[in-house]
Amino acid sequence: MSQLRKGVLEYCVLALLRDGQRYGFELVRALSEAEGLLVSEGTIYPLLSRLRRDDLVSTEWRESESGPPRRYYELTDMGQRALGEFSAEWIRFRDAVDALVTTQGEMGDERAH
Amino acid sequence: MNVHTDPLVDEYLRRLEVAAAGLPADRRLELVSEIRGHLREALRQVPEGDQAGVRNALERLGAPEEVAAAALDASEDSSTAVGQLSGLAVASLLMAVLWFAGIGAVLALGFGYRARREIRDSSGRKTGTGLATAGIILGWIGIVIVVVGAILIAVHPAR
Repeated sequence: MSQLRKGVLEYCVLALLRDGQRYGFELVRALSEAEGLLVSEGTIYPLLSRLRRDDLVSTEWRESESGPPRRYYELTDMGQRALGEFSAEWIRFRDAVDALVTTQGEMGDERAH
Repeated sequence: MNVHTDPLVDEYLRRLEVAAAGLPADRRLELVSEIRGHLREALRQVPEGDQAGVRNALERLGAPEEVAAAALDASEDSSTAVGQLSGLAVASLLMAVLWFAGIGAVLALGFGYRARREIRDSSGRKTGTGLATAGIILGWIGIVIVVVGAILIAVHPAR
């Protein structure tokens, strides 16, 4: 289960950046508000670092009106493409798993009766 | 609240630096700087002297050892993960070696350049740039051989 979560998490990060730049804290809090997705907020930063090194996101330091500058993350063209591919694949994957899991469950119910 | 004056935060960042010692220096600095920035934002909403609030923010981050382990894990993912060998790169080298009176050389160039583009766009999922480059170089040599051969035959027609 943790492998599954880990694999999907990076695309959730990309999806959060779809509508524009966000800074680290903002991203992490948005993820931790999604129930059951995130274990520890701190582990998102290594993930962001890897996405940057893989050229899926780019970063930029920007002044904030309150306090020190913030590091903003933004999707690159490659990140955009990866997200698009994942979204299409994910719908197929989700439907296939749903279909299997639901049928198995119903079969189990019938046996129990 | 100032991040740098809270002993709990100092202790957390110190433990993070120790736990992240195995990371390359730039990666470690980046991680510590991001976590420091995160805490600065998180503690902005915590009133001065609210120890429970500070503790809560640190707990949500996870243990520093856990964060560092995730960073070590992530750096292995991208530096040691072996991508899949590009079939086009293999085809390029094969065509260059077989040559086929110059036709192989032309195919080697086509496959080679396409392989390099495919590998570059794959963000590490495909490998074989070296093979593709070898195919391209041998392909060009193959074409030069054809051209020189054709010139020689034209200048010195068989007697």
